[in-house]
Amino acid sequence: MLPGGVFNQSYAKDVAIVRTKTQWLILFAALAFMFLIPVFANDYWLGWLTKLCITIVAVLGLHILTGLCGQFSIGHAAFVGVGAYTAAILTTKYGVSGWLCLPISALVTGSVGLLFGLPCFRLKGFYLAVSTLAASFIIIWCMRHFATWTGGLEGLDVVTLKIGAADLSYNQPAYWLAAAVLVVATYCAKNIQRTSVGRAFVAIRDNELAAEVNGISVFRYKMLAFFISCLFAGVAGWLWANTQMRVTPDQFRLNDSIWYFGMLVIGGIGSTSGVFFGAVSLRALQVTIDQVAPMIQSVQLVIALNLVVFSGVIVLFLLFVPRGITSLWEKLKLQYRLHPFSY
Amino acid sequence: METFFGASLQGILLGGTYALIALGVLVVYKSCKVFNMAHGEIMVLVSYFAWWLAVSKGLPVAAAIVVAVLLGGLTGWVLNRFLISPLIGKPMLVTFLLTLLIGIGIQGGTLMAWEGMPQVLPSFVPQGNLDIGGIALSYVSLAAFAVAIAMFVVFVLFFRFTRIGFGMKCVSENPELSRALGIDVGRIYSISWLIGGIAAGIGGILVASVYAVDTSLGWYGMVRALPVLLLGGLESLPGCIIGALIVGVVEVMASTYVDPYVSGFRELLPFILIIAVLMLRPQGLFGLKRIERI
Repeated sequence: MLPGGVFNQSYAKDVAIVRTKTQWLILFAALAFMFLIPVFANDYWLGWLTKLCITIVAVLGLHILTGLCGQFSIGHAAFVGVGAYTAAILTTKYGVSGWLCLPISALVTGSVGLLFGLPCFRLKGFYLAVSTLAASFIIIWCMRHFATWTGGLEGLDVVTLKIGAADLSYNQPAYWLAAAVLVVATYCAKNIQRTSVGRAFVAIRDNELAAEVNGISVFRYKMLAFFISCLFAGVAGWLWANTQMRVTPDQFRLNDSIWYFGMLVIGGIGSTSGVFFGAVSLRALQVTIDQVAPMIQSVQLVIALNLVVFSGVIVLFLLFVPRGITSLWEKLKLQYRLHPFSY
Repeated sequence: METFFGASLQGILLGGTYALIALGVLVVYKSCKVFNMAHGEIMVLVSYFAWWLAVSKGLPVAAAIVVAVLLGGLTGWVLNRFLISPLIGKPMLVTFLLTLLIGIGIQGGTLMAWEGMPQVLPSFVPQGNLDIGGIALSYVSLAAFAVAIAMFVVFVLFFRFTRIGFGMKCVSENPELSRALGIDVGRIYSISWLIGGIAAGIGGILVASVYAVDTSLGWYGMVRALPVLLLGGLESLPGCIIGALIVGVVEVMASTYVDPYVSGFRELLPFILIIAVLMLRPQGLFGLKRIERI
């Protein structure tokens, strides 16, 4: 919402991602900070940040599917897995260059997404969620059982990614790579929202029938949403494979899909900043549990604590703050702007 | 031929177990329109609790089972009262997600309390197998089958002949109108969750005595209950039983005839069934086709 007396006087200004000079300043400061973190962060935190970046890229994909187009997918982690496995198999078994794998992973994951998005021709809401849930299990089953390609339960080692002689697979370079991909992905997601495709997605989310009557081919756009969402998942998977050095089926379980969805819920469905809020807060929660973990002796208990805390937090948000952290943030901004008056 | 006959008999028995799991989900869905994904985890909770009471606390097995089943009912009631009922009337997806998360929470709680090691429930049914023409059927699965059929009959009678059962049917048709006609909708929801929880408890005890008390049982059950209910049409009691029998028989057939060639096909089958039913006949065999109006 714009403050009173501020108007967008041209279309270009209305659709601009960054509107004011202050926002440009904040953006550049944030970007500079983001790329300078490796100078003063240690390896543990760099690893955490790299994972965070990958998570945000994946959740951005889910945001396009769920937040914009209103289609639910409870199997996003499995799609990330498809991307990761594509990259791993191509580099190790066929010696394809790691960089070439990026578009290939994205496209393969996109196609798999299309395949499992097909039921959305007939299904909505709950039924679609169940079919994506089944998709998640089918994909993980394939990872486990086609052992000649995927290495079964053991998983696959990934050939390291290189620029010239520099190794991009861990610590600083890995973080820089992930951060760069994150910036590009965020820009793409923001950009999709302001094109006609993005507006068609939103129309489908808000009222499918009205969208169809207005000349939007609902099925085609839903499939497109699945495809784009899975492109993001594929890119996140490629990043995952290259920064974690090893892919196993256990990295892409159903629980991870549910956490991705939870991040969207916590952040606030339907806004890009919500994705950041959600992913950062859940990952921060996870790292807090990791810090507490050494005090607890049993491994089982730590896993259980993870499950209870994560699901508890998401349930609380679902019940009490259904519009997520973004809504709180917007309220705060509004209050600050209107400070002495409440209106 | 011998294997075929044996496999179908085994499949029917397995179907009984699945019907046992699915019936509890169905009762809740029928009145509240909430697909309870936490059902499987309530089963696990109850079976661990029964094991703990019987083995660590030294209660008689029968008493332990009764107390544990009541705990299941209580869990259902509490879930409805404090978590689900504020969201009644929201899109079905929200409650689906909520119950999924609650299920994960309960799973975490069970892991915390009992470490998640597989355990053996002391038996309350005679061990051993019934031998029918060379086909061995264990007494436990026969008991599970019998309980499933009994539960089905009780539910059918309940929905047909009691006031509360009628009330549930009304509420499932139209909650606002039922409230206007003087049915206490909140009470109906509470009662159906209570029944759902008790059904989960009974199912949990029986399934745990067929296999073992284990945390993986929850997902195992839910994953089978999903195709059963989708096939049966989500709201029909006979559909649920028939769906369970079909899924059970198909699963045993697949494990007999396909598993030797494709290892682990049996685990994959429920998901293929889910996708197939959703693609070909989303309303299931006995469900009403929803016609969308403008």
